[in-house]
Amino acid sequence: MDKSTIVCRCEEINIDEIETAIKNGAETFDDIKRLTRCGMGPCQSKTCFYPVNEIIAEYTGMPLNEVSLPRLRMPLKMVRMSTLAQDSEGSNVVSVFGESVEDGES
Amino acid sequence: METDILVIGGGPAGMSAAITADRAGARVILVDESFSLGGQLRQQTQHFAPLPGSEEKVRGTALGNDLIKKLEASKVKILKKHIMIGSYRNENIGVTDGEKTFAIQSQKNIIAPGAAEKAKIFPGWTIPGVMTAGAAQILINRERVLPGKNAVMLGSNDYSLEVARQLKACGVTIKAIVEDKEQMISSDMELLHDMKNVPVYLNSTIESATGKEELNKVVVKTPAGLYEMEADLICIANGFDPIIEPFEIMGCNLAYHKELGGWLPEYNVYFQTSNPSCYIAGNAAGITTIGPVLLTGEIAAIGALEELGFMEQEEAEAQRKELWKELAEIEKRENEKTFRARSELIEGFHQKIGMAFPEEFNMVNGGAHNG
Amino acid sequence: MWYRYLVNQWKMVNHKMDNLFDVIVVGSGVIGSSVAYHLSESKKHEVLLIDKGFPLSGTSGSTQAWVWVHSKTPSWYGELSMLSAELYPFLEKKIGDVEYKRTGGIAPFFNEAERESALRLAEKQAEVGIEIEVLNREEVLEKEPSLSPEIAGATFSKIDGNVNPFRLVELYVKAARKNGVHCSFYNPVNDIEKSGDIFQVKTQKGSFRSKKIVLAGGPWSKELGKMLGMDMPVKQVRGQILVTEPLQPFLKYTIGGIRQADNGEVLIGYSKEEVGYDRRSTLDVMQQTARMAIDFIPALSKANIVRCFSGIRVMPEDGFPILDEVPGMEGAYVIAMHSGITLSPLIGTLMTELLTEGETSINLSRFSLERFNGIQSR
Ligand SMILES: Cc1cc2nc3c(=O)[nH]c(=O)nc-3n(C[C@H](O)[C@H](O)[C@H](O)COP(=O)(O)OP(=O)(O)OC[C@H]3O[C@@H](n4cnc5c(N)ncnc54)[C@H](O)[C@@H]3O)c2cc1C
Ligand SMILES: Cc1cc2nc3c(=O)[nH]c(=O)nc-3n(C[C@H](O)[C@H](O)[C@H](O)COP(=O)(O)OP(=O)(O)OC[C@H]3O[C@@H](n4cnc5c(N)ncnc54)[C@H](O)[C@@H]3O)c2cc1C
Ligand code: FES
Repeated sequence: MDKSTIVCRCEEINIDEIETAIKNGAETFDDIKRLTRCGMGPCQSKTCFYPVNEIIAEYTGMPLNEVSLPRLRMPLKMVRMSTLAQDSEGSNVVSVFGESVEDGES
Repeated sequence: METDILVIGGGPAGMSAAITADRAGARVILVDESFSLGGQLRQQTQHFAPLPGSEEKVRGTALGNDLIKKLEASKVKILKKHIMIGSYRNENIGVTDGEKTFAIQSQKNIIAPGAAEKAKIFPGWTIPGVMTAGAAQILINRERVLPGKNAVMLGSNDYSLEVARQLKACGVTIKAIVEDKEQMISSDMELLHDMKNVPVYLNSTIESATGKEELNKVVVKTPAGLYEMEADLICIANGFDPIIEPFEIMGCNLAYHKELGGWLPEYNVYFQTSNPSCYIAGNAAGITTIGPVLLTGEIAAIGALEELGFMEQEEAEAQRKELWKELAEIEKRENEKTFRARSELIEGFHQKIGMAFPEEFNMVNGGAHNG
Repeated sequence: MWYRYLVNQWKMVNHKMDNLFDVIVVGSGVIGSSVAYHLSESKKHEVLLIDKGFPLSGTSGSTQAWVWVHSKTPSWYGELSMLSAELYPFLEKKIGDVEYKRTGGIAPFFNEAERESALRLAEKQAEVGIEIEVLNREEVLEKEPSLSPEIAGATFSKIDGNVNPFRLVELYVKAARKNGVHCSFYNPVNDIEKSGDIFQVKTQKGSFRSKKIVLAGGPWSKELGKMLGMDMPVKQVRGQILVTEPLQPFLKYTIGGIRQADNGEVLIGYSKEEVGYDRRSTLDVMQQTARMAIDFIPALSKANIVRCFSGIRVMPEDGFPILDEVPGMEGAYVIAMHSGITLSPLIGTLMTELLTEGETSINLSRFSLERFNGIQSR
């Protein structure tokens, strides 16, 4: 298939970019994600997960059931900040400034 | 908010679980993200058979309405337009209604989010006019919008042909059915008959889909060469995969079973996952047909009811035995491989956690292996 | 076919000179990768970089990635951070574009009482050359109009900024490889032994030998330390970060707990929980973080959250970096720290000096293991 074919439509990542990540040694969806952003879009890899894993399986010779799953993340659906904040128990706001003076955190 | 049993998903599986749980006297909350219940049944205008306890054919939408009626007559608290978005540190499920986000404290959860359509990539699959068969079906049956005039179906499973038939009934021309396997996947005589005038390209793939703003040209690669055709709609029917995100969030172990749709949670004969507070039902527990979908909902509910003391052990066992028998019968008849894969998944999980097989399952399971 | 390519690459590592390396670096996070890269610059040493996963599978792949200086205290720690931040522009010239941006940093405070400490901080940091302005509400809002009018003021410094952690680690590794560093990924180290002067590093894919080893295991530092019979004085502290959909660029500066990335996504987070190595997110913290985001920047209330991720900080028990030779085990070094993104250019440089010259341009006594009590050596 044409290497410029899109695999991850949310982040517009094509086959070539995924193959390059694999050439550089990546063997899992999450590792490819960190190299290319593939899977970080609004659908959170719901669409591209199987196609990407198929490419990994094809290139590395690993069977599909051994290609690991991406880490699935909350929130399951996009949610507004205000919706999330509503009903939360109290606010934990700390100024970074106040904290860092204590323990040198960043 | 607090309840005995929380059901996520108001498709046929979730509704059937909720109705069963309510009947036994448990307090039930049912959460669904849509503004109406029914799940994927809402656009299934075709007829389904066999259903549990009946050989009569029922229209998908009618079946859904029937369940909704039962549900609305029950004490189940229904939360429509509520989405499960995650879980809290104490494992309570968190839902949002778009205004606020809150926890629902429950003793047991039955999670039935259904399945998603698998993507299929080819050059041009992201341009407008290319969509899943399910999306096309939603457009014609729910939104009453025609997605195109000239369609190419990619995939030849039952579902692809069913959608092709429905599109045809709306006046859409089916230009081609493209299948990368050696033969048609569907063996449904009725559907095949309906498609008899449509060109079928076997061992073929879509070489490219192009168009300025919208799709207008499709090139199909066949063993005999490239075929170019004008089309403004491609429907991808590449099968379904179980929705696993809610289970992963709840810390349930997953396993890969190709015949069940890919990755899905492991579960035992009670449809309980590796997280004892989470049960599973419907297509999320393996892609299957509507009869088994309904039955898995009931079996899951009975497991939860028994553990919570709403049902005596003896009664639960008796009911479960009947339901499993029916599930085995229907699923073996409709898709033997699915049932075998389901049995393997369950057996594997029981072995892994060192849990004994109840007798009723030995029977159906043995049956699967012997024939 | 690429599989074969990988296997060949692997054979190359395996067949190298009876497996004897000058240095084996365990851990290819930002710290291990930086050490491997800086060591490779002279092209004089045979270096092997091992990771049980792929670079970025640890903490360096789930971080806020500020290159943050001005509020780090005591001032020697602030100075250290500043020295490292100042290396970034040079680093970029050598390894490529890591999207380092010295945006300037704003650390808001919410009440007048804190102004006193802010002024004290500015005074202290000035002694080591970190310039800090203490701003009042109007001045802050003029700089960053999206901030909440509820804040009382802020400290500001030009030295702070941020970097793309994915590019950073990727390019460290790429440059190191180009300089001849051997890499072995998806390969956990299971045990380390020393016989005579030579270390035996036992991995899933075979045994390697080296004259020196550097353990940069991030949150797994304790486990790696055990292989050398020592108890690393570090804790695991989880942090959860919310990520919004891409928004029009509207934040100019790096702000306490919040920054806007190049692609428009805003990253928000400031939680700390000691829950072991558990990288799950929880709605409890996500909700608090959302609350905090709105308190800082009210306009964010309309933004959509696309995802959330968690990282496990490796936090030395007193909060300050560890970089030392293991007592009683010559040639074995451990490095562990929080704020490794900020510090990696400097740490890589210092470690290289230590390994190749035996002395460093900055005195390392503050980073010693000795400062913790009860460390046992074999
Ligand atoms: C597009 C499509 C077309 C289909 N066509 C056919 C067909 O032609 N023939 C056939 O036999 N079968 C078909 N099926 C399968 C059939 O519809 C299913 O067997 C049946 O609907 C599955 O029932 P279910 O309850 O498991 O899932 P669903 O019916 O999918 O119901 C799941 C419900 O869960 C809700 N939900 C999911 N996630 C969340 C969440 N996080 N929070 C709140 N609610 C949530 C959804 O809104 C949905 O209402 C189709 C399935 C799909 C997806
Ligand atoms: C939420 C959060 C926000 C942060 N924000 C900032 C910030 O804004 N600025 C900043 O400077 N810092 C920040 N930090 C801290 C910074 O990310 C870390 O200090 C840094 O990433 C640590 O890098 P590392 O290389 O030590 O660890 P890691 O990146 O975890 O690397 C360790 C590597 O060792 C490997 N390993 C472990 N055990 C073995 C074994 N047995 N065999 C082989 N390989 C092994 C692992 O696979 C891993 O790749 C933040 C951290 C968190 C969690
Ligand atoms: S298609 Fe890859 S993230 Fe959506």
